[in-house]
Amino acid sequence: MLTRFEHYATTSMLGSIDAPPRRNGELLFAQAWESRAFALAIALSKAGHFEWEDFRQQLIAAIGEWEAAGHPPEAWNYYERWLEALERVLGETDLAALVRGDGA
Amino acid sequence: MDGKSLDREAASAARVAALESLLIDKGVITSETVDTVLTWFERDMGPFNGAKLVAKAWRDPAYKERVLNDLPAALAELGIPRGSTGAEGEHMKVVENTPEVHNLIVCTLCSCYPWPLLGLPPYWYKDPTFRARGIREPRAVLREFGLHIPETTEVRVWDSSAQIRWMVLPRRPPGSENLSEAELAALVTPEAMIGVAEVVVPA
Repeated sequence: MLTRFEHYATTSMLGSIDAPPRRNGELLFAQAWESRAFALAIALSKAGHFEWEDFRQQLIAAIGEWEAAGHPPEAWNYYERWLEALERVLGETDLAALVRGDGA
Repeated sequence: MDGKSLDREAASAARVAALESLLIDKGVITSETVDTVLTWFERDMGPFNGAKLVAKAWRDPAYKERVLNDLPAALAELGIPRGSTGAEGEHMKVVENTPEVHNLIVCTLCSCYPWPLLGLPPYWYKDPTFRARGIREPRAVLREFGLHIPETTEVRVWDSSAQIRWMVLPRRPPGSENLSEAELAALVTPEAMIGVAEVVVPA
């Protein structure tokens, strides 16, 4: 079977703590920036800038830290954690200097 | 949403926009990259292909015969490339819902899910409880999904495996006689093709 990276990336999260929110089976984005953050992470990993598994570990860590910090549940936003994980994982890649704004 | 979350939303939106434009400026991605990924999810990951197949089968009895008896040929006619259905298309079978028989598909392994046709599986589909109860007491499970199957209708449960993956051809809803193929396809949900929902025409 021909597996697309996009499919692998999202199914690898199914049933796990870091699975993206869905409605009626489809990905659910409350705001446009959420879908852009979603697609950026997938595109950058697909292009080889980081391993998808490394991104997932950052996401799981970011979710865990948020939960441990005792925020009220209504303040939860999945894609804020997603964005945090994306920025962190990029900080460990060939794009680190570029996203920090020094050089490249 | 309170003021604080609105501020955080705005800040997040700004951070994403800044990151995307930086990466575009530096030539890491192009201005189309993000939209290409999103389009792929909207068009190819959704239940689009399965829904097209169902809508065509409703309108064309000869096509329906091929869907039920020669699925690879039926998929090829829809222009679904062989590579994108792969082994799943060849090891898939479609079962038809009728007034006499209602079909329900269960499976525990995500790899058994015919995603090129149905899109990504709903979260509950992989739940072992759903599969176990689906086999043991399908009518009760269907009732919990809000689907009441009359006692006179037989319920058949199909367990997808690596050998055969199943898909339901739902019944065409009343009131859909004048709809085009595209309009019909838009009504077909992944749930209907698993057998936990019926297709309905919005009132």
